[in-house]
Amino acid sequence: MSMIQLKNVNKSFKGQPAVQNLNLQVKEGEILGLLGANGAGKSTTINMLLGFLSPDSGIVSIEGMETSKEEKKVRKLIGYIPENVNLYPYLSGLENLDYFCKLAGMKYSKTELHEFLTRCGLQSDAHDKKVSEYSKGMRQKVGIAIAYAKKAKVYLLDEPASGLDPLASNELSEILKKLAADGATILMASHDIFRVREVCHRIGILKQGELVKELRSEEVSANELEKLYLEYMTN
Amino acid sequence: MWKIIKNEWKYYGRTPWLLGISVGFVLVLFLSIWLGNFQTQKQTERYNTASNELRAQWESIDAMNPHNAAHYGTYVFKPANMLSSLDEGVNSITGNVLRLEGHVQNEIVHSEASQMQTISKFGKLKSSLLLQYIVPILLIFLAFSSISNEKRSGRLKLLILQGAKPISLIFAKTLSIWLYGVGLLVLTIMAYSLFHLNDLNVEVLGRTTLLLVSYSLYYFIITGLTVFFSARWENSTIALTSMLGIWIIWTIFLPNILMSSVEKWHDLPSRNEFKAAMQEDRSKGLDGHNPSDERAKELEEKVLVEYGVDSLSQLPINFDGLVMQEDEEYGNKVWDKHFGELRKVLASQKKSYQMGGLFDPFISLQNASMGFAGNDNLHHQEFLVQVENYRRVFIKMLNDKHAYGGSETGDWGWEADNEFFKSVPDFEYKPTALASVFPHYITDVLLLVGWSILVLSLIVFGAKKMQVL
Repeated sequence: MSMIQLKNVNKSFKGQPAVQNLNLQVKEGEILGLLGANGAGKSTTINMLLGFLSPDSGIVSIEGMETSKEEKKVRKLIGYIPENVNLYPYLSGLENLDYFCKLAGMKYSKTELHEFLTRCGLQSDAHDKKVSEYSKGMRQKVGIAIAYAKKAKVYLLDEPASGLDPLASNELSEILKKLAADGATILMASHDIFRVREVCHRIGILKQGELVKELRSEEVSANELEKLYLEYMTN
Repeated sequence: MWKIIKNEWKYYGRTPWLLGISVGFVLVLFLSIWLGNFQTQKQTERYNTASNELRAQWESIDAMNPHNAAHYGTYVFKPANMLSSLDEGVNSITGNVLRLEGHVQNEIVHSEASQMQTISKFGKLKSSLLLQYIVPILLIFLAFSSISNEKRSGRLKLLILQGAKPISLIFAKTLSIWLYGVGLLVLTIMAYSLFHLNDLNVEVLGRTTLLLVSYSLYYFIITGLTVFFSARWENSTIALTSMLGIWIIWTIFLPNILMSSVEKWHDLPSRNEFKAAMQEDRSKGLDGHNPSDERAKELEEKVLVEYGVDSLSQLPINFDGLVMQEDEEYGNKVWDKHFGELRKVLASQKKSYQMGGLFDPFISLQNASMGFAGNDNLHHQEFLVQVENYRRVFIKMLNDKHAYGGSETGDWGWEADNEFFKSVPDFEYKPTALASVFPHYITDVLLLVGWSILVLSLIVFGAKKMQVL
């Protein structure tokens, strides 16, 4: 069964179409990358999956539940990592994780919280440092730890690698692969063709709200993917 | 919700600039209480010294004609209220010293404002100034970006995804900031109580509790409204500008506009008009120094019949004393009439001004604060009434002594002895009990409650309409 499903989804803002007749499916343990220029509809798609936007028509569902109708239940399944994970700067990474877990109704011991952070790639000496001292990559790791501690089944990532240095970006890829291997379903919107090609099982190219191409990553090399992407963007 | 409140408090505790402002503010609050307390104590000491000296002078009168003593008169001093260091109300402009003598009701004089070298719109550094003007500003600055900041940073999405409800979020933000204001309030009252540990009683505790409730309601209104604006508008600058605009209208414009309007609607006579009207009515009565007028003649006939004699010289009493007392009583009636009318106008003004609380909760707060501190015009009027009642007893004793003390009519040289002057009681002020004046402030408290309910509804509405994106 598909964990994430979008069927004939349309969404427009003030008459301007943002998503047009979009059909997508992501299975359990699968990573789908959505490539597209700014305004292609990637963030709108993610916001519909998060239940913050309702589709004008069509069905957006997670684990069979429509996101606009059963938002509370659906949100319990989702971990969301935006481009900038803005945590509370006056709290440490550990305190941030603890706070967000408590909001989700989950209480963990300090040891467990440390484990989550370590598992998501944050060096242990950084756990108790104030987030104001963190790099973007470190904050993203805490963001992933929040989703992980929440026992999210679905991870929605909006431009997660944007602004990360190659090392941090590579670490992020490894974490996502590990999560998928553990059964998590991941949808990642990005501009980064090479990272998407490397991490995702399947890739979709969005143009002006339409899914113009869908392919498996092993079908193309990074260079071929770039060529294909540019072709779609320029035509 | 408590998790969010706890987190907000961590923010206050770990943000150096905020911590600095809070500590500085608490120090200024304590300083204002200390200064207010120091001033109140000094004033009390000064007035006690003056009062004791005057009493000693009075009791040391060896022998004097009672009517001369009535002209010699005495002074009463308005005692500084215990809660003056929290809110001095109208005390600085109403005057504190009143001369009591025969024939005339003098005006209270010697106001603090009349002796000030400089004039400031906001007056001296008093805790009421800080609690009414500065704390709300501080709360506005803490609240204006409380929700919009979460929205702008994208954290709001994360919070909602983690299960936080918009209503809990807005409430928690409102409560955490409100508690900060209430904390400052409680610290102020605790510091005040420390200065007055020996004077604390049920009356003072009742009044401070009502002060605490009134200020807490006002802080909730300010905080809730600011958080509502913060949730409604994405741009925190709009929330800040709107709230500062409201603050200016509420605290500066509306009270002044309304007070001017109320004075026009319920016109008080000018001081000269009031005095002229009193004199006019008084002149129709007896002339205390001239027993030959018509009313004096009537009194004379009545007394002669009462004592069964034909002339004043046969009377066993001094008729002059009776005439003077009759004159006093007529004067009292005139005063009661005019002062009563004045009080009616003042009461109408107060009622109309109170209704201004429908548009401006600051008006209700100011009324309640001055009233519960016992320093508003109502308490001042109660003081004046007590003083006038004392003056009547005081002058009556002197006139009765003149009449029945053993002298004969026309004997203005007769003197009462020291024992008599010692027997005249001193003025003793009985502070107005809260229970007797509380009904006058129910409107203010109810309006503050009404505003709080309105803000509560706005918060609920704001939560429903809150845009996460």
